[in-house]
Formats: sequence, structure tokens, C-alpha cells
Amino acid sequence: MKPAAFDYVAPRTVREAVEALGAGRDAHVLAGGQSLILEMRLRRARPEVVVDINRVPGLGRLSVDGGTLRVGALVRHDAFEAAGAVPGPLGTLFSLAVVTIAHPPIRSRGTMVGSLAWGHPASEWCAVAVAMDAVLELRGSGGAREVAAGGFFHGPFQTARRPDELVTAVRFPLPGADTGAGFAEHRRTHFCFAQVAVAATLTVRGGLVAEARIGLVNAADRPVRARAAERALLGAEVVLPPAGHRLPGGHPFARAGEIAATADAAPVAEPYAGVDYKRHAVAVLVGRALRQAAEDQRSRAAVHRGGHR
Amino acid sequence: MRRWARREDERLLTGRGRYVADIRVPGCLDAVFVRSGVAHGVLREVDCTAAREVPGVAGAWSAADLMDLPACPHAAGDLQDLPPVPRTVAVGLSPEEAVAGREWPVLVKDRVRYPGEAVAVVLGEDRYRAEDGAAEVTFRIDPLPAVVTPSAAAEDSVRLFDGLSNIAFEGSAGRPIDEAVLQGAAVVVEARYRQQLLMPTPMECRTFLAVPEADRLTVWAGHQMPHRLRRELAALLEWPPDRVRVVVPDTGGAFGSKSALFPEYVAVAFLAVRLGRPVRWIEDRLESMLVATRGRGQDQRVRLAADAEGRLLAYELTIDADVGAYPHLAVGLPMQTAWMATGPYTTPQVRATLRSVLTNTMVTYPYRGAGRPEATVALERSMDALAHRLGLDPAELRRRNLIPPASFPYRTPTGRCYDSGNYAAALDLALTTLDYDGWRAERARRRADPAALPLGIGLACYVERSGGEPGGLHEFGGVEAREDGTVVARSGTSSSGQSHETVFPALVARTLGVDEARVRLAEGDTGEQPQGVGSFASRSAQVAGAMLVHACALLVGRARERAAGLWEVPVGEVAWCDGAVHAGPAVMDLAELVKLTGPLRVDDRFAAGMAFPFGAHAAVAEVDPELGTVRVLRLVAVDDCGTVLDPVVVRGQAFGSAVQGIGQALYEGFAFGEDGVPLLAGALLDYLLPTDAEVPPIEIRDTRTPSPGTPLGAKGAGESGCIGTPAAIVNAVADALRIADPGLLGTPLTPETVWRAARAPKLPERPV
Repeated sequence: MKPAAFDYVAPRTVREAVEALGAGRDAHVLAGGQSLILEMRLRRARPEVVVDINRVPGLGRLSVDGGTLRVGALVRHDAFEAAGAVPGPLGTLFSLAVVTIAHPPIRSRGTMVGSLAWGHPASEWCAVAVAMDAVLELRGSGGAREVAAGGFFHGPFQTARRPDELVTAVRFPLPGADTGAGFAEHRRTHFCFAQVAVAATLTVRGGLVAEARIGLVNAADRPVRARAAERALLGAEVVLPPAGHRLPGGHPFARAGEIAATADAAPVAEPYAGVDYKRHAVAVLVGRALRQAAEDQRSRAAVHRGGHR
Repeated sequence: MRRWARREDERLLTGRGRYVADIRVPGCLDAVFVRSGVAHGVLREVDCTAAREVPGVAGAWSAADLMDLPACPHAAGDLQDLPPVPRTVAVGLSPEEAVAGREWPVLVKDRVRYPGEAVAVVLGEDRYRAEDGAAEVTFRIDPLPAVVTPSAAAEDSVRLFDGLSNIAFEGSAGRPIDEAVLQGAAVVVEARYRQQLLMPTPMECRTFLAVPEADRLTVWAGHQMPHRLRRELAALLEWPPDRVRVVVPDTGGAFGSKSALFPEYVAVAFLAVRLGRPVRWIEDRLESMLVATRGRGQDQRVRLAADAEGRLLAYELTIDADVGAYPHLAVGLPMQTAWMATGPYTTPQVRATLRSVLTNTMVTYPYRGAGRPEATVALERSMDALAHRLGLDPAELRRRNLIPPASFPYRTPTGRCYDSGNYAAALDLALTTLDYDGWRAERARRRADPAALPLGIGLACYVERSGGEPGGLHEFGGVEAREDGTVVARSGTSSSGQSHETVFPALVARTLGVDEARVRLAEGDTGEQPQGVGSFASRSAQVAGAMLVHACALLVGRARERAAGLWEVPVGEVAWCDGAVHAGPAVMDLAELVKLTGPLRVDDRFAAGMAFPFGAHAAVAEVDPELGTVRVLRLVAVDDCGTVLDPVVVRGQAFGSAVQGIGQALYEGFAFGEDGVPLLAGALLDYLLPTDAEVPPIEIRDTRTPSPGTPLGAKGAGESGCIGTPAAIVNAVADALRIADPGLLGTPLTPETVWRAARAPKLPERPV
């Protein structure tokens, strides 16, 4: 488990980084190294040159501009552990999702943008980005461009990023106070990848679902936006299900779960989790994430009303 | 100043431990093995030419390049933990016959029999360069069909050795069951269980550093049996043993996986001697996952018969055991399961039969528990199934059958003689500690509430064996008093994390009545302690502890004789008290005595009896039937290891062992591809270990029934947890789900397994 020989460059600007990536050699970007270092030690990744962007100023910025959150390429996972780090329901969603990523030491190194660029099918951030209509900012030798998260992921570890491009940031639209967030993950131990996880938000107006967003983690060879399930929820009356681990059969959240499992998910079998089981888990977790989102929305609305009394 | 719990802790917990990989030897080469990615196949060609051209590579060899590398010795013929299979076994096989014609080569000669088997070795100036070289070795293997379970391999449709059966050994314990008893029984539970293959997973993988100097070889290795390693290496090199020294520095765990001589060790020792240069092999995690020894690996069938009152009538256990690709110690290991099949019960008829079967996996070897968890899981899962069938409380069913305290020594139908025990006391303590009645009420409440997650309670009573088998129940060592007032305790054992440095000096200090701080332990170095057996089978406290107490008594005798001579009084008038000789008003401590009379050192060999630790474990588990996840809410482990030498250390052993038991029940296991290669691309993300986040609240309690087999009364403490815990957890899950077929819950209890079991037919409702 020792990496093959490689060259190492530490650019000081985005332009230098892009030049290093575009020099015609097999180059890998090093941000947190969460995945890259392991792959190199296993010699499954054998880059000719490692481009370490950690010394590029400005990439570690997390900023809010109007209704948009912008996360720079060096913002570490642990920046999102506090729900208040990002305003509103998006902050809640991030804080729920981030604690399912590896261990605290890894979260202090790994980055959100790095996870997006790596494109692991079990990555929580990839599914969150797809569900929340995130936009990735890329810089290459041909200049800057933007790619919507929905079109960014092409398969396991395959993305729309060109070899000479650096993902410099990702932007998320910030949902309003009428939205609630939920995140449900299923994995065998705290340490391992998700067998399945689900990110969901519900926007509720007048007691009815005005918008639903559902992202599926590890439910296909890439992150999935469960659009069929989202459509089925539109206009549904939001009735919180009774307590208990099981949703009543005909509940709209249970129905959405079944639709997500059959129409949206395309699970890939893995050791100890066959396709049938993963579909079933998608159905259960969509229901649970939606329930959590509805509860979050309700308490958010209560606080909101309380604040205006 | 901070007081550390153990002597070792100050060094180990402040980063000052010294492991084999920390030892810097100038000019040392790193060995890397080129490994087969195929489970079974014919090796056509290996070409190391390009590897030799890689900068920093000192050499690269295939088997053809090293035709004179000696073969790996088979331990089966010279078992230290298990004796040769008893001659009473009515079959014509002996271990030698099991091994004959099935040689395990150091590097593959013509046939690959397990994934990861080494086809070449590359030496480099460091591990990076050696791996660069290994990447340039080319080889071709024509794949053959692979068999990875003993049941499949026993059919012999794919043979590992041409012309020889995959069944390397057949054995049995106990007389055949009288079928009339089974027919007349009120209930007969029949079930099949698979005990999955497990990895021992020490934190430090295997290590081996060979340093040749003139006509001698010093080996540094994390090892449980340094003296055996020295004997075997000397025999391989055709040297007298005193030309080889084995030193065991700090070692990061073993759990049974570091007691043999492995192909890699042979290659490294041989190349070091041949090149006249130090060579080391530091196994990395991926290698370890692929080619370190496995534990368990049994396909079992049981029949357990009882009368209507729940009195056990007969128990039959049939085992197909996974030996791995070469017949090694695992050929005889399943006999341990057979001999222990009776468990803690008075069952009059018990019969266990087994086949040891070769498969295309790395060799099976003792792993913490070594045969006893397999016996306990089969029996205790069947006991819970029997209780459900009879409508009896599982605790009550056990109580009715436990061997009563007055029956010891107790001779079992499967050939064991249990030394001492109070099995019911352990069970009662487990139930009280758990609050059994409280959890039963909670279980009933949840069964009536559809919103509640189902909850189950699982029990497991066990008895195990510690110390070793006849012929291996002794240890060498001694005690030396020095002029400076210090005492050196020597022992042939070898710690891989069992706190010997803390426990043995304290024991010697207590026995002699001297200050503990003045006693130092010397072990794990064949240069310092020339003879030894080692640390395995939970034997160190039981056997070496007794040996040290015996040596102390010899030392005291010598000291009294010397004092009698000095003072010119009869030896009967010299008393020993608080580390000093006394006669009337005259007092002289050990240091003074040694100054006046010269060096005082005793060395001896001491043999103990076999001991049978026992206990009762209880688990409460909650199941999410929608996802199949299991949450262990509470685990109680009551273990009886006789006289306890150090409660903190024993507790640590019980806790760690219980966590490994949780691993067997819920997480650990290999998934194999169709080609027979384990799916380990994600390393420890694929083979899951319980981590701190998965450890439930565990309560450790003990009862203390001394062993009559030694003057010390200690029994083994190292393995109990992983023997009792797996069955308790699986029983808790089965109880929560109330499933009719216990065999559905194959371990590890992955969410998918539990989810499928949750949808299976339920047991009929019974009034509780």
C-alpha cells in the first residue's frame, strides 16, 4: 500500500492550478485527499502529477449572496456540522447529512467540492447537490463555465469535469422558511458507506406540498433525483403520520417512497445488499426523510409564526 | 504523577512502543510479494526480468528462480494447541496422512490454490521501490473453478490436489446417538448453521525481520510462540537451534493469527541468509485481509432432542469444516468443536462428527475461541429454538439441564473432563445483572404496541477449554534474585497485548512478598529464556502463572537453605516472610543474601491441568424490521475464569473478546465473487468490524470457581467473550422476530438477512 512515484505541484492561484492540470499529463487534484490518497496507496490511481490546491487563496470561502450559497473548493465537510453555518433549511439539511460522512478527523480534511468532483455513487453531497439544484463552477484552460449538478454526474467516478478543469465552487439556491429538510441514511456501521440514503425537502403552502425535492444516495450508479416521487407529492395534503417506525400504507410519503424505489432508483447490487433489498430501503428511507422534512417544516413554521406574534 | 493502569501503558499510550516496523537496521531490504488475483488456477509462467531492472530493487524471484526454497512445514503433525487427532478415532486417517501429498509451497510452483497466494517475491531498498518492482512482475494463471465453502468442496467435483479428495480428515467424538431416543423425544430441533469465515484482524498485521550476522540469524517478529518459530526456522535452515534467536518486541495483537510459520517468513529468512542482508516483511492491511489466517468456517447440522419437561436427551452435531487451501493446523482444529459439543449440559448422549475439507481460501487457523465459539453457537441457538418449541422460558430450560456443581469433575460424552464449575450461578448472575424480568416485561409491552420496534432477549451459556491439550500444558521459566535487589521473572510465554508485563511481576512480587516495582519480566526473547511454549489457548495466566508461583516456591526453598547454611541453623528454623529469610532475631532480605552467597536463580518446567472456564451471556436487541437493522441495547457477560490475577486486565480481555463476538454476530464476513475471490476492494469498508460507535453498553461480571488443576487456580480469560456473545445476540434477534426457522439467521446478521428473516413465517403465539 505505497503509492507509485508521482510529481507534486502546489499552485498559488487558480490559473496556475489550471495550467498544471492542462499540461498534458495525467493530473489529479488534491484537496482533502479523503479518497485520492487511499486510491493512490492502493495504486488504483497512479497520477503522473498531483496538483495540491490547498495553497490557493480564496478557495476556502463560504459565502451567502442574496438567495444563493457559494461553497469554495477548500471548504471542509466539518464547516457544515452546525445547522446555523448555512441559513435556513439548507443548513439543517447539510448538518443532518454531514455527520454521516466518515469520521470527524476525515471531515476536518475532506471537502464538499472534492466529493462532488470525485462522484462516488454513495456520496451524500452528490445526492444533496442533485436534489437542491446546485450549480458547479469550473475553470479550465478554455475559461470558466457552469454545470448544473443534475447534468454533472455521468456514472461511478465519472463527471462532466474535463481533465484540465478545476471545480472552484458549488452554488446552492437557499430555500425559504416554508421549506423543511430531512435526511435518512442506512448503513451497516458508523464507519462505512451508505447502503442507501435519502435527502429530502418539502415546501408547504396552505397545508399542501408546493415543492418536493428528493435525492437518492447509492440508489444507482450515480446520484439520483427522484423526480417521479417528487411529482407524486405535489399538491398532497401534509398530514404528519402517527408515531412509530412504519408509515401507514396509503400515506403520501409511503407512496412517494414506493414510486422512488420502483420508478426513480436503479440500484446496483453490492456485497450484503442485493437490488431488491436496496429498492426496499429506498422506499423506507424516502418515507422517513419526508416525515422528517415535514416535521422540520412544521416546527420552522411554528417558530416563524411565534416570531411575528 | 499519572498512574497508568498497566506497566505497558506509559510506553504504548505515549507513542513509545517499539514494534518490528520501528526497528531500524542499516541496509535492510523490504520484501513485497506478488500475489495471485485468482482463487484457483494453473500457473503458466512468471517473469521477474523487468522487476529486476527497477531502480532500488535488489532482486526478484519466482519459485522457479528459487527451486531450493524449502517447503512450509505443516503444523498439523506437531500441534501445540491440539494434540494429534486421538487414536480412538475409528478412521484410518492421521494428520500425517492428511498432509501427505498436499505440500504448501512458499511460492506457487504450478498451482494456485487460494487468492493472494504468492507467485514471486521482490526485495527493494524500501517498500515503495519493492512495490514498484512487484508491479513489473508478469505472470499468467489459467483459472480453474473455485470452491469456497466446505459443503461445496466436500463434493469433490473440483479437487485442489489432483487424485486426492478435498476431505483431508474425518473425525468424531462421542458414541452414535440411539435413533430410538430421537424417535421417542417430545421435541427434536433440527437446524443448519453456517459459521462464517472471520479475520482475526490484529491492529498490527504480521511482521518479520530477519537479521543475519556471521553464522547466526536474529529474527524479530510479532509472534505468540517464539520458541517454536526458532525451532522451525533452525530446522528449515538445517542449523542447530542456538544459531537462531527470535525476539518478540511490542506486538499489536494476534488473536491466534501469529503462532505459525508462514510462507512469507520462510522466504524472508531464507533470502536474508542467502544474501547476507537484513530483510523484513511488514504485512499491510490489504495483504492481511487476503492472506492472513482465517478463523471459524463451519457448516453445521444439529439435532437436539428433549422430553416434554425440557430435559435434554440427545444432541448430534455434524460439521463440515473449512481447512483452507492447505492442510495445516485447521485439520485437527474442528475436533475442538467436537470435544466441546456437550456444552454445559447433562445431555446423556452427545455425538459430533466432522469432515475437514480443503477449499480455495487462505488457510483456516485458530482464531480467538478456536473451535469453542462454533460449538457454543450451534448448541445455544438450538437451545433457544427448543425453548420456543416447548413453550419454556429459555433460562428455565437451561437451568433444568446445567451440570450441577456437585458433579465435578464431570466426564462428558464427548470425551472431556470438566474440572470445576457452578454454571447455574453464572446464569443467575447474568439474569439479575440484565434485569431479565424487566426486559421480559418490556418485550411484552412492545409486542402489544404496533408502533414499537420489536425487542428480543438472547441467552448463551458456555463452557470452554483453556491451557491447551495434553502434551502442551506446560511452560518453562524461572525466577532470579539479583544483588541489586531486583527480581527477574522469566517465562516462555509471549505477550501480544495481554499485559504480561503487568500481571506476572505483580504475581511474583505477591508470592515472594517483595516490592512489585523491583520485579521485571523477561519473555519473548529466546536469547533470554531458552525454552518456552508460548501464548495461545488462553494459557498464559493459567499455565505460566502457575509456573511462576512454582518457581517462587523453589527460590524460597533455596534461599532458606542458604540462610540455614549462613546462620548454621536447621533449615526448618528458617522462615520466609515479606521477601526475607528469618530465623529468630536474624533477618536478611534477598539482595543481601545474594550478595553474601552468590547468584540465586531457579529455572524449571511446570505442567498444569486442562481448565474449563465457563459463563453466561445475555443480550437485549432491538430490530428495525423495515430495514433489518439490529441495535444491541444491552450485553451482559458473566465469565468465570477461576482465580483472577488482575481484575482490570481480565475485564479488558472480556470486553475486547465480547466486541469480537459482536463482530461475528453482526458485521464480519467475506462476500465472494463467483470466481472465489473475496470482494475486498474497499478493504475494511467491505469487511466490517465493530467500531466504538457500534459497541453497546456491556456489563462484565464474574463468578470465581478456582481450577483444581494448578495451585494458582486461574483458568484462561482471553477467549470467553467471543464464545458466549455471538449466540446471545443471534438468539436475541431470533426472539425479537419470533421466526420459526432459526437457520434463517445466518451470521453476520446483515440488514438484508434480518429483513428477509423478518418476513419469514413466525412462531405461533404462545401465552407467556
